[in-house]
Amino acid sequence: MIDVTHLTRRFGGLTAVDDATFQVEQGEVVGFLGPNGAGKTTTMRILAGYLPATSGSARVAGHDVVRESLAVRRSIGYLPESVPLYREHRVSEMLAFQARLHGMARADAKRRIPEVLERVGILDRERTLVGNLSRGLRQRVGIAVALLPDPPVLILDEPTSGLDPIQRIEVRKLIQELAERRTVLLSTHILPEVEAVAPRVIIIHKGKIAADGTHAELVDKLAPPSYVRVEAFVGPDAGAAKELFSKLPGALNVVDHGKLGVHHVFDVRCESDLREDVGALAAQKGWALRELSWQRPTLEELFARIALDLGDEEAWDAAPGGSAESAAPAPAAQPAPASPGLPVLGVPTVEAQPERVLYNLNPFDGGASRNLSAPKLAAGGEVPAAGDEATCADEDRDPA
Amino acid sequence: MRGLVAIYRRELAGFFFTPLAWVLLFLALLVKGLFFVTFVEGLGGNVDIALSYSYGGSWTFWALAAFLPPLLTMRLISEESRSGVLEFLLTAPVTDAAIVTAKHLAATTVMAVLWSCLLVYALTIESLGTTPDWNAILGGYVGAILVSGLFCGVGVLWSAVFSTPLLAAFFAFLTNLLFLLIPYLGDRFSATWLGGLIERFDVTGHFRHSFLLGIFDTARLVFFLGWTALFVFLAVRVLETRRWR
Repeated sequence: MIDVTHLTRRFGGLTAVDDATFQVEQGEVVGFLGPNGAGKTTTMRILAGYLPATSGSARVAGHDVVRESLAVRRSIGYLPESVPLYREHRVSEMLAFQARLHGMARADAKRRIPEVLERVGILDRERTLVGNLSRGLRQRVGIAVALLPDPPVLILDEPTSGLDPIQRIEVRKLIQELAERRTVLLSTHILPEVEAVAPRVIIIHKGKIAADGTHAELVDKLAPPSYVRVEAFVGPDAGAAKELFSKLPGALNVVDHGKLGVHHVFDVRCESDLREDVGALAAQKGWALRELSWQRPTLEELFARIALDLGDEEAWDAAPGGSAESAAPAPAAQPAPASPGLPVLGVPTVEAQPERVLYNLNPFDGGASRNLSAPKLAAGGEVPAAGDEATCADEDRDPA
Repeated sequence: MRGLVAIYRRELAGFFFTPLAWVLLFLALLVKGLFFVTFVEGLGGNVDIALSYSYGGSWTFWALAAFLPPLLTMRLISEESRSGVLEFLLTAPVTDAAIVTAKHLAATTVMAVLWSCLLVYALTIESLGTTPDWNAILGGYVGAILVSGLFCGVGVLWSAVFSTPLLAAFFAFLTNLLFLLIPYLGDRFSATWLGGLIERFDVTGHFRHSFLLGIFDTARLVFFLGWTALFVFLAVRVLETRRWR
């Protein structure tokens, strides 16, 4: 439906869009993501036939945007970011003007206008002057105007900017409804919005397409490895605990975030979920656990990483994830009471690589007392009391 | 074509939704009425000459003709470019030429409404028992519309060039003034090739020698329509460059 090949647009010395290539199939909803000035609006303007490209080509609904500009304009509903509407007209007059511009039959327009107003939820404002409407309502009129000719392609430039949270949710819902029958390309720099509305995301940065795919694909492909966040009372020797964590099978490396009160915070980087292993280790060592969560990178982190031009691994440590996705209470994490009589651990010496085992996690069945290939310095396999089934992964306590 | 009609209707509605058009109409009516009465009294009741004075025979007509169109056209494109509505129009399924032409026609229509009050004077005189020279009056009216069309074309061009309405109005007024002043050079160079060239710009002369006398001369018609088309064409080109800028 939308076919962009090697699109480049320069403004003087500035390259706003740099060799962008992407396709959008019919019925797809694509979120166009990028920081301010990334080239989102320019790309959309080129697609809408407002700006010509410096080089490259773009086709919308099978028509070239330059050579068959009028055909393209007939088949898209374009809502620019500024929501341009004639302020001195009433809502219904504005829609009637749009209907005439698109050459809709009078009867057709008469039927469609209340229909689209109903759709965007402003049927009661039909007689209001556009200039007297609030930002959010004007935005809806803009969407209604774009929808009126029933175009197969919708191009919405930041449709939720300037809206309050409630309006934003409503517009989001509206877009989701619209997407059922149409190809939608919408731009935004609000990430939860894209995650909620568009299954596919194109991230554009400095005019270049930085990433293109579904959320899961992008996160898998581009994001750094996930990690298990552990907050526990590990006694005075944090280095030893770190060493133990890094010896866990599957652990890539361990970042020590230092002390938070009497507790220590570690990030155990790993390819797969190591919560059980970490929990079992903690139970075995008798460390009092406060948090045990599986942190996967989010689109937001990925976006920040692209937008900030961060490099690979080292940059990740500098920019730890913002919104950590905290998992459900880890089943393996059995809290041991942080009593003064807690055994103090010595430095472990590990010889052989341990084999991966499936743990029996029932604390009454000796669940926590398996071989973790750690030296049995402390009172290994201490089964905690049965009543302590408190949750360990505390979402709100994300040490910044 | 449908797009052109749609934009023409909207622009016309836009004019009458803003107070500016009404203020201009009111002022024009006031000034013209005052001058008409003065002319009739000064000429000892000769309504034909008084009407011909009101329609281009005197500087009062030309002052209004040069001054009012820039005020009407100054906002047409520049204001929309500022508010962003131009992006809406330029992405609608309408050609740039249709947009500019529609806006130009709307402004010219307002001017036609403005001049029509002189027809009312003529009708009043008719009803009082004296038959005025209707050929000259209708010719003068058509001519006045053509002159306004030309000056509106100038205004639309400058409105496309500038994003500030006031600047557009100022330059449009200067250009109109140039059109009116150039003929005065004509006498100096009448024998040379320059005189012939100056005649090509002579708006007042072309108007006085045909329409004002009630003579329908296609050469004069082409003169006005040609100049108007040139300015509208230039405005379309300037609008197109906006996409490249």
